[in-house]
Amino acid sequence: MLARRFIGAGLLNVGTWAVVLAVIFPLIWMVLTSLKPQSELFHIPPAFWPQSITFEHYRVLLEETPFLQYFRNSSILAVSTTVLVIVVGTLGAHSLVRFSYPGREKLALLVLFTYLLPSVVLIIPLYLLMVWAGVANSLLSLVIAYTTFALPYALWLLRSFMQGIPADLEAAALIDGASRLGAFIDVILPQALPGIISTALFTFILAWNEYLYALVLVSSDAARPLTTGVMNMLITSFNIEWSLLMAASVLMSLPLIIIFAFLQRYLTRGFGVGGVKG
Amino acid sequence: MASIAEREHALPGGWTLALRYGSLGMLLIAPTVLIFAAVIAYPLVSAIYLSLRSIFTPTLQGHWVGLANYADLLSSTTFWRALRNNFVWTAGTLFLQIVAGVAVALLLNQNIVFRSLARSLILFPYFVSTVVAVLVWRWLFNDLYGILNHFMLTLGLIDQPVNWLGQMPNAMISVILVGAWKYFPFVVIAVLARLQTIPPQLYEAATIDGAGPWGRFFDVTLPQLRSVLTVVILLRTVWDFKEFDLIYLLTGGGPINATQTIPLLVYQQAFGLNRMGMAAAYAVVMMAVMLVFMSLYLYRARRSEEAA
Repeated sequence: MLARRFIGAGLLNVGTWAVVLAVIFPLIWMVLTSLKPQSELFHIPPAFWPQSITFEHYRVLLEETPFLQYFRNSSILAVSTTVLVIVVGTLGAHSLVRFSYPGREKLALLVLFTYLLPSVVLIIPLYLLMVWAGVANSLLSLVIAYTTFALPYALWLLRSFMQGIPADLEAAALIDGASRLGAFIDVILPQALPGIISTALFTFILAWNEYLYALVLVSSDAARPLTTGVMNMLITSFNIEWSLLMAASVLMSLPLIIIFAFLQRYLTRGFGVGGVKG
Repeated sequence: MASIAEREHALPGGWTLALRYGSLGMLLIAPTVLIFAAVIAYPLVSAIYLSLRSIFTPTLQGHWVGLANYADLLSSTTFWRALRNNFVWTAGTLFLQIVAGVAVALLLNQNIVFRSLARSLILFPYFVSTVVAVLVWRWLFNDLYGILNHFMLTLGLIDQPVNWLGQMPNAMISVILVGAWKYFPFVVIAVLARLQTIPPQLYEAATIDGAGPWGRFFDVTLPQLRSVLTVVILLRTVWDFKEFDLIYLLTGGGPINATQTIPLLVYQQAFGLNRMGMAAAYAVVMMAVMLVFMSLYLYRARRSEEAA
């Protein structure tokens, strides 16, 4: 009986880990390919481990392609979008949770509605709007466009987090003579901080990964983010250099890897609160 | 907070506290409302207006055509094929996401070694950029040097390399599979969170009543997961239905439009064929189809909000 349980547990462990490794295999393969010399890619049969490790593709990527420019653009874009959305969203979510005025409930529902809205429906009018406003083909146009999905998302997430803060905390501060804005800054904000960090991380990742708006609104390398920039390297290259593209993919995932390594608990928390709490 | 907001004190200037609080609340939400009006509400209305015009993309010049775009669209095979593809893709990838998601969540709910590491690794596909996912998969799918064909040849599953993206029905299957791989972690996390709250007594009672593993799954686990699965299915239907990046980057809608869904059609009409009015009409029709799923989700969300 004991032996059977032992074997059962062993099988469960091996099986589960086999599934996990199979799921992340494409990402392992990405890293391995990026470290292989170009010649090794075309071995038949392909070898799993690189015969010799090379960082040549990373060097080429950083020195001979506009990759760093794209990286810089993506960083500016994702950080600006996150800051804008978090500031506006925190104020908005606080208002939706703690104040009462006509139309508040409808507004909350509208936020949820916009959270589900497809970019494809907004993209044509937004394109015309940017051309008309004279900001087309700039990072600014992308920050504006990104608020269309990032703000509803952040508002919804922040609202869920803030609903979890006990109302008594603010009431106590008000009785002690704080103004409502004072209570917001001294009492609510510190309590909401973990939620704000979660939301900021999610927003950053959303903006970092966005593709469609970048494809439509930006057509010059000066403002092109990583997503469309790296894809362009694939489309315009004469013969596809997979190891170069895999190196680009690895570097492009760097912020994500950092977030996963150090801030993962915020990601899981955000998932629980906003993602599926219908 | 109603107690504070409704406490009526006459203040200097004649404003009640409730009124002052109300206007502070509106002031705080004002930036949100302004942004929503400019970049969401206006474009939505504008899309409907544009769909009634014929617009040449490079010059942005156009004229009024009334409902002609809609008449064209509904009588074209392109639209109906794209709509069908859209449903095939959504149903296929959603089904796999749910099955894989629930299965992996059940596994990760067991006591295994390095469980939290396994749980975070499984999230990676969901958070990685679609561009990265597509590049990696196109390399895996490569017909000559791709590792996938090599694995399957070695295992004897196939006897010659498969053209994963260049022919049908392979292309649709590949897109559905990559979509499932990318998005099933969302289901895993949602289901896992719910699994952890199922009282163990329910399983003990079922075991005493003689239920085996399958019995326990169908009689205890699945009913407990019902509400979270409903929400997940509605959300993922909306999100999968509107997916652009993954399909566009994997196949571009090919081979010969066989994987072209409506979002791809909107893009192609607007920026490939320069028919911006027509593209807007496609977008509006897509919105109309999606409104069905969206209202189902909103209805549910409102109900659970009122219950809370």
